[in-house]
Amino acid sequence: MSPIDREAHLNRWRSKPLAEKALLALGMLVIALALKPAVAVLVASAMTAVTLVGARVSPRLWLGCMTAPLGFLAVGVVTLALRIDAQGIGLAPGGFVEAGALVARSIAGLTCMLFLALTTPASDLVGGLGRLGLPSEIVDLALLMYRFLFILGDSAAAMNAAQAARLGHATARQRVTSAGLIAANLLPRAIDRARRMEIALASRGWRGEMRVLADRSAATASGLAVISAAIASIALTGFFV
Amino acid sequence: MHIMEGFLPVSHAVGWFVASAPFVVAGGLSLRKIIRERPEARLNLAACGAFAFVLSALKMPSVTGSCSHPTGVGLGAVIFGPAVMAVLGTIVLLFQALLLAHGGLTTLGANVFSMAVVGPWVSYGIWKGLRSSGASIAVAVFAAAAVGDLATYVTTAVQLSLAYPDAESGIVGSFIKFAGIYAVTQVPLAIAEGLLTVVVMNALSGRAGQPDEIAVLAGEAR
Repeated sequence: MSPIDREAHLNRWRSKPLAEKALLALGMLVIALALKPAVAVLVASAMTAVTLVGARVSPRLWLGCMTAPLGFLAVGVVTLALRIDAQGIGLAPGGFVEAGALVARSIAGLTCMLFLALTTPASDLVGGLGRLGLPSEIVDLALLMYRFLFILGDSAAAMNAAQAARLGHATARQRVTSAGLIAANLLPRAIDRARRMEIALASRGWRGEMRVLADRSAATASGLAVISAAIASIALTGFFV
Repeated sequence: MHIMEGFLPVSHAVGWFVASAPFVVAGGLSLRKIIRERPEARLNLAACGAFAFVLSALKMPSVTGSCSHPTGVGLGAVIFGPAVMAVLGTIVLLFQALLLAHGGLTTLGANVFSMAVVGPWVSYGIWKGLRSSGASIAVAVFAAAAVGDLATYVTTAVQLSLAYPDAESGIVGSFIKFAGIYAVTQVPLAIAEGLLTVVVMNALSGRAGQPDEIAVLAGEAR
């Protein structure tokens, strides 16, 4: 259902320590947002290289993920660059400078987020949040939800295909009805599925806790130091450019 | 409407995290209580959260030609109440950022505030208000979903205009610009989502799968 999830499980950096990938992505994200636009440009190019060359993420998928948010960005930029006053619509003074900084920052932020999303499965990240102190009830809920996403996503895709094959998407009116039917049929199925899973787990002595063996490698001090140094050098370079 | 990664300045991103934290923590505490008392509710909640995610991945036509997706905010608020929706919505938004590249990590706080706090509370208020004043279920559901959607979009426009006030006309002028541009897609979408939610509720009440389980969740959650 989610090509991003597949890539996150299959890329070359899948088994790198979670803490190192998270530090790289979030550290770069923070300096891109907090410092000058020049830093954001450097961060965007560094993170693109790391994602495509380092982790060997499929460039086609990466580009596909980049284009969708760019529509939102385009609207934002137009809004910043234009002004509306008594004479009508014109260019806003200084709007282009502001819009350019916004584009640099947003694209840099996007590359950082995509790096994390495409190299690290969401279940690993949620597990990491649990080790950082997120209550175990919420972590378990999120992990169960992660599992259900794919079960329900498959059902929804099958329903959607069946409707499309029966002219269910022929008109706009028909599409709203079809979408409503999917939603209405999916919710009882989801709850039914949850009940069956609950019975299966209860019969195996489940007490509301999932214990699984994770083959994660621990972060090394040298790895963390290299990443911190890279972040600091980009921040400094951007400062003097 | 999700604000993309990197769109908000650091101070605003942090501010919206702070603003939505109390709602999410309060929702988390009530969720914890539900789960402590009835561990089996956990699976139901997970299934419903996943349902909201899948619903948001569903393509729906909107009048302006582009395909949009429903948010499920109104439906969730009517069924589960707004407190639980804050937590479920936060997890759903996190997964949307990580699995669909929709939304962002630093903008998560702002998106949670508009979509998991303001939207559900407005939907819930409208639903309760209309039902107690004697409106039919269909009208109340439509209004709850459509107005909840609009409230979410207005909140997002406010967040954007606070972050990027107009040089001359300030926050108000900027709000008019953002709200005006996004109204083109968001107003038809809100109406479509309202209609969709009525279709869903009709179909649900027609087949009433396991009404007691939804009722228990909703009753305990409120």
